[in-house]
Amino acid sequence: MITTLVGNYPKVAEDTYSTKLIGSISKWQRQEMTDAQLEDILREITRAVIQEQEQAGLDLLTDGQIRWEDLVTPMAKRIEGFEINGLSRWFDNNVYYRRPVLHKKPVRKGPILVDEYRFAAGCTKKPVKAVLPGPTTFATVSEDRHFKSERRLILALAEIINAEALALAEAGAPLIQFDEPALGFGKPNMALAVEALGIATKGVKSKTAVYTYFGSLNGALSPLMKAKVDVVGIDIVSEPKTLGALKRTKITKELAVGCLDGRNTKLESVGELHALFNVLKKLVPADRLYINPNCGLEFLPHPQAHAKVRRLAEAARTYRGR
Amino acid sequence: MLLTTSVGSLPKPEYLMKARSQARKGELSAKELRQLEERATREWIKTQEELGIDVIVDGEQYRGDMVAYFAEHLGGFQNSQLVRSYGNRYYRKPIIMGKITRPKPITIDWWKFSQRLTKHPVKGMLTGPYTIMDWSFNEYYPSRRAATLAIAQVVREEARDLEKAGAQYIQVDEPAISTRPEEMDLAIEALGIVTKGLKAKTITHICYGNFTAIGPKLHKLPVDQIDLEFANRDFELLDFFKGKRFSKEVGLGVVDVHNHRIESRDEVVSNLKRALKVFKPEQVYVDPDCGLKTRTVEEAVDKLRVVVDAARAVREQLVN
Ligand SMILES: [Zn+2]
Repeated sequence: MITTLVGNYPKVAEDTYSTKLIGSISKWQRQEMTDAQLEDILREITRAVIQEQEQAGLDLLTDGQIRWEDLVTPMAKRIEGFEINGLSRWFDNNVYYRRPVLHKKPVRKGPILVDEYRFAAGCTKKPVKAVLPGPTTFATVSEDRHFKSERRLILALAEIINAEALALAEAGAPLIQFDEPALGFGKPNMALAVEALGIATKGVKSKTAVYTYFGSLNGALSPLMKAKVDVVGIDIVSEPKTLGALKRTKITKELAVGCLDGRNTKLESVGELHALFNVLKKLVPADRLYINPNCGLEFLPHPQAHAKVRRLAEAARTYRGR
Repeated sequence: MLLTTSVGSLPKPEYLMKARSQARKGELSAKELRQLEERATREWIKTQEELGIDVIVDGEQYRGDMVAYFAEHLGGFQNSQLVRSYGNRYYRKPIIMGKITRPKPITIDWWKFSQRLTKHPVKGMLTGPYTIMDWSFNEYYPSRRAATLAIAQVVREEARDLEKAGAQYIQVDEPAISTRPEEMDLAIEALGIVTKGLKAKTITHICYGNFTAIGPKLHKLPVDQIDLEFANRDFELLDFFKGKRFSKEVGLGVVDVHNHRIESRDEVVSNLKRALKVFKPEQVYVDPDCGLKTRTVEEAVDKLRVVVDAARAVREQLVN
């Protein structure tokens, strides 16, 4: 059983690593702070976030996406062809992201996330995973004024994501995760989503994972078991029926199960987590099981996010030790 | 017909913004802050009267966030540490930590204060139970439903007190209602608890909508009037209502609140006329898309002026 986070983590912490990022970004926006000065602060906070995970005892760490405005902006702003537009709602959350608009053929002009990955990996001896938006989600939250074809957009983004995944794998990322929250909403074209994931992971030697979260997976579970990825991430908190659906699904992948609510401050008890682990162990052997919150922890204030990290590690530790 | 109003919040003048930040730092007493809030409220009521707006709002000069304001005055809530809403913007999200109670009326004194200043009706402005639930964390109630229904009880008490004080219009905003279409029935049930038995005209404002999902249930919302943003969607929403014989009143947002540009009278007139092909004039109230608090005072006044001028022009054409 491997413990990990889904990706993002609070960028400010009144109780530990400070709120100075807020003022620093404002200053940087007013050009009262240089890129290098802001970079120092981003690195300092990233290091603190990695340390918190390490100290809690998580197995597979993330960089907390401290410099990410949202899941897609970091990629979109460095892909030629995109322009970053106005605010839109981030799925079913009272949280907003900036909608990328594609005006011409998207071109990746070089590595995008590799430097920040290298920095994060250098902060710890523990493995650090890399996270990318999945092609279907990237396309869903973007506006396409170029291809005017869902299929062509998704496949073009899948190629770009693949190039980035290959670069991250080369930089040493032991696991590369593709986030696909869009698969939980409406009636996604699962055949296309699976095809695109095949392109995104093509030639990637590291382990690969697709993470779904929010919404409900309806008919998406079985198709996901056919995707060319090693791990399928499932949120069983947002829609409790998903656990039942999972039990009825033939599981052919490793599973990453979102067991703690990343969108509510209420802390899960060790007892209820152990009960859940008992159920999950019947679905997949423990060595094919990842345990994590259902989504990134940035929806929570820092003290509660930190508490969930520690609870996750504690529940896994005491469970293994029984 | 075509009465004009506004959705709720109006921008806070510079001196009030400064005072609020001083008050937060403890450099200004609650009493001094209150005096400035009253001054800003008086100014806004006078401005709305001068512009010729029919149904007036107090402008919510004494409120910050529309959920946090109620959470601060209700029992059972605590404030969280900072969470990010987007970009570099952070806020404190309420946490439900215990049974939700209303130790005393929340908005009644302010409503009375405003109504004493004008002969126009002043709307009572409340945040709806579903939105308060959705925009809070919940550590106490066993489910989102239980939390929403508990909040509905206290919002109902507040609505009744507003009516008792004399409010002819009570608006219960539910901007979160379109976030999760699968919870629309819950939102409807909770709003029903709030509005049940009220004789005042009841209104709900909804925004950021996923209308394909919630549209079919709009007519089930237990209010007399539904206020929607039409302008920032280029009046595409009209297509949804076409041929439906929508039986409720409609608050028609005719100017975009997210844009600095001031719409021209002519464009608003022409959009209003488009709307009147779908709705009856008696059915329509005219207002901005949403609260104007994110605009400057000048922009807000200019936008309100366009609303009034356009509504008047169309009214005159209808009469002749
Ligand atoms: Zn609104």
